[in-house]
Amino acid sequence: MIIVVVGLSHRTAPVELRERLVAGADALPAVLARLAGREELAEVMFLSTCNRVEVVALVHGEGALDQGLAAIREELARHGGAASGDQLAPYLYEKRGDEAVRHVFRVAASLDSMVLGEPQILGQVKDAYDAAVAAGALRGTLGRCVSRAFALAKRVRTETAIGAGTVSISSVAVELARRIFVDLDERVVLLLGAGEMAEAAARSLGKGARALRICNRSFDRAAVLAREMQAAAVPWEGLEAELVQADVVVASTASARPVVTRDMVRRAMKARRGRSLLFVDIAVPRNVEPEVHAIDNVYVYNVDDLEEEVGRGMKARHAEVDAAEAIVADEVAQFLVWTRGLEVQPTVVALRAKARAVLFSELERSLGGRLKHLAEGDRAALTQMVESGVNKLLHGPTTKLKARAAERDDAGDLAAAVRFLFDLEEAAAVQQAARGEGETARDDDERLPN
Amino acid sequence: MTLELANVLFAATAAVYLAASVLFVGELGGHLLAAARWAPRLVALGVPLHAAQIVVWSMVLHVCPVEGIHFALSVASMFVCFVYAIARLRFRVDVVGAFVAPQALAFLLASRFVGPVDDEPRLRSAILPFHVASSLLGIALFTLAFAAAVGYLLQEHRLKNKNLARIQRLPPIDALDRAEHRFLVAGFPLLTIGILTGTIWAREIEAGSLPGIARAVLSYASWALIGGVLLLRAAAGWRGRRAAVGAILGFGLAMLVLAFYLVRSLVGGVHA
Repeated sequence: MIIVVVGLSHRTAPVELRERLVAGADALPAVLARLAGREELAEVMFLSTCNRVEVVALVHGEGALDQGLAAIREELARHGGAASGDQLAPYLYEKRGDEAVRHVFRVAASLDSMVLGEPQILGQVKDAYDAAVAAGALRGTLGRCVSRAFALAKRVRTETAIGAGTVSISSVAVELARRIFVDLDERVVLLLGAGEMAEAAARSLGKGARALRICNRSFDRAAVLAREMQAAAVPWEGLEAELVQADVVVASTASARPVVTRDMVRRAMKARRGRSLLFVDIAVPRNVEPEVHAIDNVYVYNVDDLEEEVGRGMKARHAEVDAAEAIVADEVAQFLVWTRGLEVQPTVVALRAKARAVLFSELERSLGGRLKHLAEGDRAALTQMVESGVNKLLHGPTTKLKARAAERDDAGDLAAAVRFLFDLEEAAAVQQAARGEGETARDDDERLPN
Repeated sequence: MTLELANVLFAATAAVYLAASVLFVGELGGHLLAAARWAPRLVALGVPLHAAQIVVWSMVLHVCPVEGIHFALSVASMFVCFVYAIARLRFRVDVVGAFVAPQALAFLLASRFVGPVDDEPRLRSAILPFHVASSLLGIALFTLAFAAAVGYLLQEHRLKNKNLARIQRLPPIDALDRAEHRFLVAGFPLLTIGILTGTIWAREIEAGSLPGIARAVLSYASWALIGGVLLLRAAAGWRGRRAAVGAILGFGLAMLVLAFYLVRSLVGGVHA
C-alpha cells in the first residue's frame, strides 16, 4: 500500500486552470464517487481550495502504482474538462510514499500555503476529510494519515509562531481596529469607493461590524456592491454626515486628491463628541489628508503603514519555518514507523494462526487417541501449556520482525521470507484483505503516539 | 500565635503581589507573555490574603486599621486590588494591574516597615471613620482611573506613532478611556464625601494651621479638577487625551493631600 498525491497548486498552475478544477460542495460527492470507484485506488480524498486541487490516495502496492497515478490523472482531466491527463501533465505534481505523507502534513500545517501559516487550510483539509469519510472513500491507512495531519497542524501552531502576527492588509486593519474599539461588532464601517480593494478590506472589517455603509461617487455602483455585501449605499454628497456616524472608514477611491480633509473631520469630531475614528486609507494617491491623523481621537493609517506590519508578520513567520519543518519530519517518521508495522502485521498474525492451528490440531488428535483417558482438568492444563508454548516460541520472531519494521524499510523482505519459510502466503492474503477493511489498522492505531 | 499568623499572611501577600508585579512588568517589556495571563489572577488572590493580613495585624497592634495613615494606605491599596479584580472582568483592562500590583506591594511593605502607627486620641471623632473610609475608597478608584489614564496615553502615543508592533500589548484605547471615566465617576462622590467630612472634622478639632489650610486647598482643587473633567466630558465631549491628562492631574493633587498626611505622620505634627 502506497500513499500518493497528484495535484496542482498556486506554485504550479495559473488561476485559470485551478478554477476549472475546483470542486464546490455540490460537485464534490460526484468527483469522490468516481475516484472511489476506481479499482486502482484503495482509499481517496479530494482536496479543493482556491489555491490547490489535489487527490490524495492509497494505491495497492508498487505494482499498482503507475495504474493508480494514471487513474487519478485521468479523473482530474475528466473533472477539469480536459481531453486527457496529458493536457494537465505540465501543471501536475506527483508525490508518492514518504514524500506524499510529508506533502499532506506540510499542506495541513500551512507550510505550503500561499500565505505561510494561514489557518484556513486546516479547515479545508478537514472538510475534504469529512467529505471523503461520508463517501466511504477513507477507511484505514490514508484516513489515519490525514487525521495525523490534523494533530500535526495543531502541534505546529502550538509549538511554533508560524500563525502569529498579521500578514494581510485586511487582517492588519482588523487588528488595528480591535486595538482602538473594544466592541468592534457594535461599530459602523464606512466604505469610501466601491472598487475591488475596498471590497476586500470591507469584507474583513464589515464582517463583524454592526453596519456597513458604502459611499461612492457613482451611487449605482455603490448600490450594486451594497446589495452584494448586505450593506447600505449612501450618496457621495452625504459623506461628511456619514463621518459622524461611522467608526471605521475604509477609503479606496481613485480620486487624485484627498476626499477627506482635516476641516471636514474636525467638524465631524465635534458632532461625534470626541468618539474615536479610524481611517484605513488604502488608496494611492491617498484619500485622507495626512493632517487628519493629528486630530485628537482620530487615527489615519495608509497602505504603507499597513504593509510595513504585513512585512514584519511575514518575516516573523518565515523565521519559524525550520522549527515547523522539524516537527513535520518527526511526525512523518512516526507515521512511517506505523505504516511499516502494518506491512508485517499480516505476516505476524498469519504466523501465529498457523502455529496455533498446527499444534492444536496435533493436540486434538492426541486427546482423541492415546490421551483419551485424561481427565477434564488435565486436558485444560495441556491446552494451556500448548497456548503458552506458542506464545513463548513466537514472541522472539514477531518482536524482532516488528522492531525491524520500525527501524528500517526492508522489513517487507523479511516478512516475505517468513511467509515463504512457513508457507503463509494464503493466510497472509486473507489477513491483507482484512486489513483493507481497516480492522488491523484500527488494532494498530493505539501504537501510534497521539 | 497571632503574630506568627500575621507574619505568614504578610509574607504570602507580599509574595503574591511581587509575582504579579514581575509578570506585569515582564509582559509590558515583551517578555513572560505566556505566564502574564496569571498576573491579574494573582492580584485577585492577593485581596483576601491582604484583607486577612490587615485584620490580624490590627489585632496584634490593638489598633483600628484606618487610624494610622500608613496602615490606612495599605487598606486603600487592598481596596484598589479588590476593585481591579472585579472591574477587569467588565472593562478588559488587565494592563492596569501593572500599576496596581506594585503600588499594593509598596503600601503593604510601608504599612509594616515605615513610620509609626498613628494613635492620637485628640484627633478621634465620630465622623472620622466616614472621612477615612470614603477617602480611602475614593483614592482606590482614582488610583485605578490614574492607571487607566496612563495606559491610555501610552496606547495613544503608540497609535499616533504607528507603532503597530507594540499596540497589541495594551488593551483597546476605547476600553482604557471608558474604564478611566467609570472609575472617576465612581470615585467622585466618595471624594466629595471625604472632603465634606474632612472639613467638618477639621472644624471639630479646631485646627487652622498653615499645612492644614494648604491641604484643604489642594483637596478642593483636586475635587474641582476631577469634577471639571467629568463635567466637560458630559457637556462638551471631552474624552481621550484631555480627559486622561485631567484624571492624572486630579490624582496627582489627591496624592499631594495624602503626602501632607504622611509628612505629618512622619514628623509627628498636628493634624489639619
